[in-house]
Amino acid sequence: MSALLELQNVHKRYGDFVAVDDVSVSIEPGEIFALLGPNGAGKTTLIGCITGLNTGFGGRIRVAGYDVARDYRITRRLVGLVPQELNYDAFFTVRELLAIQAGYFGVRPDDPRIDALLESFALADKADANTRWLSGGMKRRLMICKALVHDPVLLFLDEPTAGVDVELREELWEYVERLRDRGTTIVLTTHYIEEAEQLADRIGILNRGQLGRVASRDELMREFGDATLEVEVDAPIPASLISQWRGSLDVELVDPTTARLRYGAGGKDETHALIASLISAGLQLQRVDSKRSSLEEVFRTLVRRQRGGLDGDE
Amino acid sequence: METNEERRARIAAEAAARVERIVEEAARPGWFGAWTLFLRELKRFWGIAGQTIVSPVVTTMLYFLVFGYSLGDKLAGADGGRYIDFLVPGLVILSLINNAFINSAFSLFIAKIHGVIVDVLVSPLSYLQLMFGYMGASIVRGVLVGAIIWVVSMLMGAFAWHNVPLALLFMILTASAFAALGVIVAILAEDFDHVNFLPNFLITPLTFLGGVFYSIDSLPEPWGLVSRFNPVLYMVNGLRFAMTGSADVPWWQGLAVLVVLNLLFGGIALRLLASGHKLRG
Repeated sequence: MSALLELQNVHKRYGDFVAVDDVSVSIEPGEIFALLGPNGAGKTTLIGCITGLNTGFGGRIRVAGYDVARDYRITRRLVGLVPQELNYDAFFTVRELLAIQAGYFGVRPDDPRIDALLESFALADKADANTRWLSGGMKRRLMICKALVHDPVLLFLDEPTAGVDVELREELWEYVERLRDRGTTIVLTTHYIEEAEQLADRIGILNRGQLGRVASRDELMREFGDATLEVEVDAPIPASLISQWRGSLDVELVDPTTARLRYGAGGKDETHALIASLISAGLQLQRVDSKRSSLEEVFRTLVRRQRGGLDGDE
Repeated sequence: METNEERRARIAAEAAARVERIVEEAARPGWFGAWTLFLRELKRFWGIAGQTIVSPVVTTMLYFLVFGYSLGDKLAGADGGRYIDFLVPGLVILSLINNAFINSAFSLFIAKIHGVIVDVLVSPLSYLQLMFGYMGASIVRGVLVGAIIWVVSMLMGAFAWHNVPLALLFMILTASAFAALGVIVAILAEDFDHVNFLPNFLITPLTFLGGVFYSIDSLPEPWGLVSRFNPVLYMVNGLRFAMTGSADVPWWQGLAVLVVLNLLFGGIALRLLASGHKLRG
């Protein structure tokens, strides 16, 4: 088995609106993949195509080599989904609901997995409570348990930490790491970019239905991240030095005594060159500030670029 | 200490082993999933039996008391039989139709509105199994309510058990046709008004005008003829024959109407579920 999830030219339209536009990506077993994108980018629609909530899409989706349309009886057992929208079934208790969900997948109601999940997600003492009386965080935990009750190898977490407290969020991510360690592949969408940054092996940015660059966090930062170094010296920077930088360094003057260098990936040579030239000009360094763009800024830049490209096409 | 390479290889091997196990399980799917949905639906209405079972039985028994006992002496059934015997099959059909329809219509519609339907849609259940789950429980509820009314009526002095197997067949087929109609309405409906429209403006009037309380032979023309276009008339009279041994129309016509309605509503419901229309995006 090479890729656990493989999407080939997937597209989904609603009338004239293209929700998912020719998405191709391949995700390895045990990978944590973050799907980032602004609201309405098509993340939930794309996940729906894989999990069976959306049908009538073009292209091909395979889970562990099985086609999600043709072999849905297999792929839906392989896949678990924590949907974005909080839902709860007010007719049942927490344990009943888990047993029902397990049953849909052929898992017996007395399976020890149900108790193990209740313990893991701190719901054991609420097992016999009606789901109506659970707090928002507990309902979210229950939804995660429901998605895991048939032990899927591919788990989709669609904004799983929206509206939950920090403690649960951290517990969830620890659990996600444990799941991955036993061979579960995880695809998550989130608005909390630091989560993607902390957890994901690779990040894909979806915008207006198109999947842009897919890369590791470090690769994204190297390619699209921006860094600046601001150096303040004790006297005005001579014009000769400024003209010497021209062409080799991207420097602007913030004021007569402060230079700001903008550099891309790596950047060691540029920063070294700037500081060395200031010192050799006899200037004393007063202040050195460096600033790197966060993944969030990279994300915004990429979305803007993609949007600019799309608008340009129109 | 495990290296990154070793860890990756171990995780990939674990994933492959789990995939293999799941694929093996999926090769023998069985009907346990569908049975679970059916039981879920049963528990849903049983958990609120006061509303779903007791209430319709009490309401219908009031009809039985008022029409059967208070006014019954002044009325006669078909072929001059006792009016309370004549009334039982009509009241059974009246409740059975409403309960079979309401169960599938509301359960599926509420699941759709509250988003709980997602739990079922991501499962490996086929559309046929979804239909079995939703319709099965509705048939049970309809037949159960009808059977309680039937039994209680007999305990209260009615004599209506001419052909019990045929009566049960009529009850099951009637419940199944309206359970399928409930599935159709739940899928197509966008708000509660849509779900209520059919029972309020079509099913209840057709049932009341379908010979529940009177014989169509007593109607002046053209109303007797018009009534013959009402499919509920055939259900009421089919069951009336099975329960009392006499009816306005031959029982086999009732059976034919029910077979046609089951094929029609069942076919549409199955097609809607298969297409995922208004359920899957």
